[in-house]
Amino acid sequence: MNNEFQAHEIRDVIKINYKYTMGGQSKFFLELMKNKKILGAKCTKCGKVWMPPRINCSDCFVPADWYEVKHTGTIEVSTIVWYTTSAFIENIPYGTAYVRLDGADTALLQGIFSENLVPSKIKRGKRVKAVFQKEREGKMTDFFFVPEDEYLNWINKPEFEGGE
Amino acid sequence: MRKVAIIGVGITPFKIRWEDKTYFELAYDATKLALEDANKNGAIITHNDLQSTIYGIYNELFERQFMPDIFINSYIGMNDKPGVRVATGGATGGYAVRTAYAEVASGLSDLSLCLGVEKCADCYDEQTGASTPEVLNSIAFSTDMTYEYPMGVNAASSYVSMVNAHFEEFGSPTEEQMALVSVKNHGNAINNPKAQSPMKITVEDVLNSRIICYPFKLLDCCLYSEASAALIIASEEKVKELKVENPIWITGVGAANTDCFIGNREDLGRLYSNIHAAKAAYKMAGLEYDKIKSQIDLAELHDAFSGQEVISYEELGFVPFGEGGKWIESGGPLMDGEIPCCPSGGLIGCGHAVGATGIMSTGEAALQLRGDAGKHQVKTIENGRAISHSIGGPGAAYAAIIVMENEEAVRK
Repeated sequence: MNNEFQAHEIRDVIKINYKYTMGGQSKFFLELMKNKKILGAKCTKCGKVWMPPRINCSDCFVPADWYEVKHTGTIEVSTIVWYTTSAFIENIPYGTAYVRLDGADTALLQGIFSENLVPSKIKRGKRVKAVFQKEREGKMTDFFFVPEDEYLNWINKPEFEGGE
Repeated sequence: MRKVAIIGVGITPFKIRWEDKTYFELAYDATKLALEDANKNGAIITHNDLQSTIYGIYNELFERQFMPDIFINSYIGMNDKPGVRVATGGATGGYAVRTAYAEVASGLSDLSLCLGVEKCADCYDEQTGASTPEVLNSIAFSTDMTYEYPMGVNAASSYVSMVNAHFEEFGSPTEEQMALVSVKNHGNAINNPKAQSPMKITVEDVLNSRIICYPFKLLDCCLYSEASAALIIASEEKVKELKVENPIWITGVGAANTDCFIGNREDLGRLYSNIHAAKAAYKMAGLEYDKIKSQIDLAELHDAFSGQEVISYEELGFVPFGEGGKWIESGGPLMDGEIPCCPSGGLIGCGHAVGATGIMSTGEAALQLRGDAGKHQVKTIENGRAISHSIGGPGAAYAAIIVMENEEAVRK
């Protein structure tokens, strides 16, 4: 008998299907899908506008009301991803950024698309605008941001459209 | 609360993959090493003397097993005793030590095992024929699944967002300053026989390595590892009863969870959890945030990414905000610097076996205070104090800091 160790490996996969309720956040996704509206949530006490929205203010522990924010905003911070997870590796390189939408107090992580995806184009302070998929599913991927000066080019592509 | 000490440290080698071990087999090895270390220090104990276990295991998907702790519990002969798992992302190890501290300080146990393990590289992506993209995906499920996961967020893109925002505010850390962390930690690992990535490299090597998430390059990022680490934690009464020769006392445990949505933070370039955890741990240990640099001898930091180690110098109170980059340029965190940071090589040099990492770094700091760290022993132990630091989770929301003391050294 050869005593050299030989590993035995098995192939396996864990797969779970969901029908996940968005609960109190449902209206955000429905308005996004049906009307291309981006809804934040404004605290009924302190007035803070949460984006992503939450139907209760975590600071004041009181309800928040739906509050429509603009489709324009400012990049707070960004990166360009060149290596990533198995789920997204076919998309590299891609840009992501935290964007403070006009009217919101917090910044939202979103994809940044650009015809010239370089750090200087998507750096802090750059203005961006939301572009929508024509086929929307009520998911965060229904929209993305582009530099304001590229907006018209993007909404003229067949698969996308403008909002506001 | 009662006084609590680390009386045994067991750390397996950190490797890219253990083909010949499962996670519970690795956990057994670390437990055995920790018991042997305690016995070397004068105790005469076996696993039968351990009264409880705190398990640090981050990710069920790595282990292909939910509730992996109970299977370890069986394998290490701890049946019919209490055991509980801690899972707080990259901070799992530090939080597990904090929980083990509480277990013993409260009087629930006199002798407890703090055991971390992770085995990630059984994840495998058939599409690319590699483990890493699937490991990264199983980690990405820790991000917010509704708003952030669909954007393709991953660990590097999350940390780099904070580092980029910090750079926008302070002009630091620069790419060169970040590279110095990688040079230091890969270099320190050369003297750690358990390290996964010992390398003698230059700043240019780091800058020329391939881009991962702008501006992080490959050598700015830690590698995922497979390893286990264990600590034997004892009450003061038990230390006396067992006649342990060199207990390392846990004098401060601090932890905090900041907002997991980076976009909700007042400043996006802050890991606020670091600041709150550090202040809490230092206060408990009777130390001062503003003077900490003169009160400790070394720090095992959580350097998941080079730039984030630089920010941690500031947030842990070593230097004022914005000066972390200058501090590494001046050699402050090097082995012969003001506070050697990551003598073990840290995550970048030794490796990142998530649930085991913070237990490894706490154990490493304890070994340093005992003078038992071997070739990577820090030369000057003046204060007899060290800290270990763990952060992790979405947007590095979790942080834990452990302060340790060697009373003999403090008295001198």
